[in-house]
Amino acid sequence: MIKIYGSFVSRATRNLWMLEELGLEYEHVSLDWAKQENRSAAYLKINPAGKVPTLEDGDATLSESLGINLYLVQKYGQGGLWPDDDAGRALCVQWSFWAAAELEPLAYGRIREFLFKKEPDRDQALIANMAERTGPLLDLMTLALDEHAYLSGETFTVADLNAACVMEYLDRSDFDLSGWPKVAAWYTNTYGRPANQKIQDQRAPIAADMMKRLQG
Amino acid sequence: MITLYGNDRSRATRNVWMLEELGVEYERDMVDHTKGEAKTESFLAINPGGKVPALRDGDVVMFESLAINLYLAMTYGKGGLWPDDAVGQAACVQWTVFSATEVEPHTVGALIELIFKPEAARDEAAAQACLARLPPVLNVLETTLSDLAFLGGDTFTAADLNVACVVNSLNMIGFDFTPYPKMTAWVKTCVARQG
Ligand SMILES: N[C@@H](CCC(=O)N[C@@H](CS)C(=O)NCC(=O)O)C(=O)O
Ligand SMILES: N[C@@H](CCC(=O)N[C@@H](CS)C(=O)NCC(=O)O)C(=O)O
Repeated sequence: MIKIYGSFVSRATRNLWMLEELGLEYEHVSLDWAKQENRSAAYLKINPAGKVPTLEDGDATLSESLGINLYLVQKYGQGGLWPDDDAGRALCVQWSFWAAAELEPLAYGRIREFLFKKEPDRDQALIANMAERTGPLLDLMTLALDEHAYLSGETFTVADLNAACVMEYLDRSDFDLSGWPKVAAWYTNTYGRPANQKIQDQRAPIAADMMKRLQG
Repeated sequence: MITLYGNDRSRATRNVWMLEELGVEYERDMVDHTKGEAKTESFLAINPGGKVPALRDGDVVMFESLAINLYLAMTYGKGGLWPDDAVGQAACVQWTVFSATEVEPHTVGALIELIFKPEAARDEAAAQACLARLPPVLNVLETTLSDLAFLGGDTFTAADLNVACVVNSLNMIGFDFTPYPKMTAWVKTCVARQG
């Protein structure tokens, strides 16, 4: 049985979404990060970096949320979320790495200010600078979405899932997407998929609790 | 025919390494991003993001250096740089994403502040802040390589290439590798393959 480690308020939700899309059975081990459960000796054996998420699937054990999704889709999503053709696959890998290397530093850098600081302590100059650098990335997505309905072609693939689960940080920090209507529509459509909705419904009460603790 | 866009002063070098490992034929288009050549109309038709490297292979056109390497390995390196088994493939994707998210932001951050920026604009404190993030990350590599010859097991794969090309960039700033003897030996072994 596939096991995924990491709570609903961690990057594990990216993998829970993928597991639901693929219709796989899995066991969810929700390590509590506030209690340092991810630093226990038992967990460090599974992932020496002590971070979540980690996936176990038979003999394969791996970490890195977006990498886990690429692994799952190649093994269980052939012809669906993992396209059959080389060009489609190349774009799936491309957008996943673009999300990791280009979008996540800006989107995560932004949401950190919102999550871990109270309003008066937020670094407004940093937030503005990051927003400015995010613009060209959204322009680039718009060009892809001008060509086809989804990032890698006419159908929903791992490219969309991996990009949307990073874009989530912009959404949760009230980034104004109105200047990029195609991206906004793509995001709503992608993020609102039933498989993700199922995960987000489970996450909501836990996240509300966490926000109370963080924002007081 | 495969075309790789970007010169040797860009991340295209990591794709050259991969193409040479795979022994596939390719040509280079030495787009010089330092001279604004990544923003010309003809190059923007390849990568509208205006960055190198980018790759064309028949009807495949893509950007993102590490993604290009995974694509090349998956397509031309089956049973070699892209292992046949799920465990080996898992290692390749995990370590390549690790390289992109956990290592490269800090190495690039330090390199920019120490050597790429004009001297007057360099920020030593920012460079040190990046370098301070590296020990826990490099320790993950050191721990993994105390049990294994390569990141995915006994043989060199895309996992090694994609992490080693990023870690090795620290040699440009005289980084002190002594706390990581296993990792250092591994980087040397990997890099030596480039001949
Ligand atoms: N690049 C990694 C980042 C993983 C990461 O930073 N996870 C956080 C939670 S989402 C974590 O485990 N933090 C706890 C810690 O670093 O101790 C990924 O995408 O999986
Ligand atoms: N995450 C991208 C980064 C690409 C990148 O920043 N490339 C640099 C050269 S190595 C570039 O083209 N810079 C020109 C610019 O940003 O204008 C990758 O790994 O390919």
